[in-house]
Amino acid sequence: MADALVYGCLYALMSMGLTLTYMTTKVPNFAHGSFVTVGVYLAFTLYHFDNISAYYSIPFSFLLVGGTAVAIYRFVLKPLSARGASLVSLMISTLAIDIVFIGIFGIYSDMLSNTYKVFNSKFFLLADSDISILGLRGLTVIAPLILALVTAVLWLALNKTKFGIAMRAAVENPSLAGVLGINIERVYIASWFLAGGLAGLAGSLMVLWLPGNPHVGSDLIVAIFASSILGGLFSVYGAVAGGLMVGGLTVLVTVYGSQLLGSWVDAWEVGIPMLIMAGSLLIVPQGITAVNWKHLFASFRKR
Amino acid sequence: MALPTITFLGINVVLFGLDLLAFVALYVAISLTLNLEFGFAGVPNFGKVLFVAAGASVGGAFAGRFAAWVLNVSTRGDFIRFNFLIMPVVNTALAASIPLSFGLLLISVVVAAASGALLGFLFSYPAIRLREDYLAMTLLAMAQFFQIFLNNYYPLIGGSLGLELPDPYAWAGSDRYVVATGVLVVFAVLVYIYSETLAHSPLARTLRAVRDNEAASEALGKDDVAIRRNTLMVASAISAIAGLLYSFYTVDVVPATFGRVEWTFWPWVIVIMGGAANNLGVTIGVLVFWVMIKGIDSGKFVFSNYIPFDVTWLEYLLIGVVLIAILMVRPQGILSEKSTPTLPKSRLRRILEKYTDPAESVGEQKKL
Repeated sequence: MADALVYGCLYALMSMGLTLTYMTTKVPNFAHGSFVTVGVYLAFTLYHFDNISAYYSIPFSFLLVGGTAVAIYRFVLKPLSARGASLVSLMISTLAIDIVFIGIFGIYSDMLSNTYKVFNSKFFLLADSDISILGLRGLTVIAPLILALVTAVLWLALNKTKFGIAMRAAVENPSLAGVLGINIERVYIASWFLAGGLAGLAGSLMVLWLPGNPHVGSDLIVAIFASSILGGLFSVYGAVAGGLMVGGLTVLVTVYGSQLLGSWVDAWEVGIPMLIMAGSLLIVPQGITAVNWKHLFASFRKR
Repeated sequence: MALPTITFLGINVVLFGLDLLAFVALYVAISLTLNLEFGFAGVPNFGKVLFVAAGASVGGAFAGRFAAWVLNVSTRGDFIRFNFLIMPVVNTALAASIPLSFGLLLISVVVAAASGALLGFLFSYPAIRLREDYLAMTLLAMAQFFQIFLNNYYPLIGGSLGLELPDPYAWAGSDRYVVATGVLVVFAVLVYIYSETLAHSPLARTLRAVRDNEAASEALGKDDVAIRRNTLMVASAISAIAGLLYSFYTVDVVPATFGRVEWTFWPWVIVIMGGAANNLGVTIGVLVFWVMIKGIDSGKFVFSNYIPFDVTWLEYLLIGVVLIAILMVRPQGILSEKSTPTLPKSRLRRILEKYTDPAESVGEQKKL
């Protein structure tokens, strides 16, 4: 159960960022998984060399990954779309960024093990360094708290502040928002910063639960896409719900499946987000947030 | 015929060249299919590796079992566990008979093409009706899933350890790599001829119409979804054959070989570098790309003592940066897309001369 909750919270934090950038710039960011890996490695490095708990690395990863995301938007995606690049070109450029990231992680982990003699740089787990709250592992309490906090702050910011309202306007209709004097550029930069920051945060938390390695982000991308698509790709709250559902279901189905059917189910863990993604594309391609639930229930009751 | 041995800087140049030729041929075929999908029809196949790996696993899962069955070699109840014992027996039998070897090759090709097309249909089914970004995400995720499937599903090709394959070129003895490379080259040439014929056919114009303006092509009575799906299926079938021939070239199939970078990303770099929707451009792109890769590789020997990390990572970094640079500086690639006139140029010119006022037609003629 704890596993399901933590997975759900982590996926929710990750897919929130992906959805945010998709809403504003309209490009699925294939490098989003690598943003998480940056957070993972930052937390690992700080813990290994300075014995700083992964929890304290959160602000650093938030700023570092957020800054990286803004740099990518500012120096790659924006110049490309200014040149009239097609959607596919923008997608392939984010894939290229992902490959560059994989190269950088490879170099970084090689250097850690060769130069600094950190021999677990390609496979590490900091779960032992987690604190204990009321006899539970810290992350089971802190991850949901952080997710709730982030969602609440985001809701307040989007609904109660001037910038948040400007942001929503820019998502709905960029040119009209521009006419009304909203600086769309600033909105886009803010959304990329937030997206990167949340991914970094998720990475910092993830080292406490799952083993880290250079390709952890690439492996996660399936689950992140599944969560975002289930959430509808156009709603941050949908992404939260999608992440919780995908993470929770993945763990529960694997655990109960292997109890009922045998341990071979474990190997299929990654197939579950895949199935959820295919299913949601077939049944509700616009995502769960776009479904008119009230109407749906009413029509069931009438029968 | 024995291969001459020429060594230069401690490298057997002939073998090196042969290996390079095999890879160039392989990537010509794969990149041309991606060009068919992305260049002509605008289908963003971000899961190319899936179909190549599928073809290769047909080599492992089907060709070996089939050969053992035809040659009446006992599999002792567990084909994968006793693979290392079965294959030498199968290969001795195959080496004795050239028709049998080519029969096995042909049947495997047919099976690989069929399974490639089937997987192309199946894995794109959820998203083929939706916008291109959904399709790209789905195919990338499916490819990731397929690799994990190959790694974990033991009965197909023995999980992450992989399998040894029957060698349909065993009859050539020490020249088997020459024959294997020759088959790859012939295959690449066939794919090139197919792509070029297609590029000059009315079908290519339909594909471009679907790519450039879905609403307009639908208004003209074209079924956009069916066209996208069929393109993906044909291209996937050809990619699967390429994967199969590659696995026959190396005589084994190991899931770890089929990474996203080498088999999805590299073909994309090649197509964008060479020029989307231009077959000659893509072929030139393959050559330029492999010169680049081999250049970096040879740098490996020079630099590996001075830098504290694996040079492969530097390769990833450089190729990623190169692709972004191409997208920024020359998005149309080395050779840009050319329009294909509906009639031969000379006839078009004559028609133009006949129906336009000579004074006005000067500008028109220059355009042609």
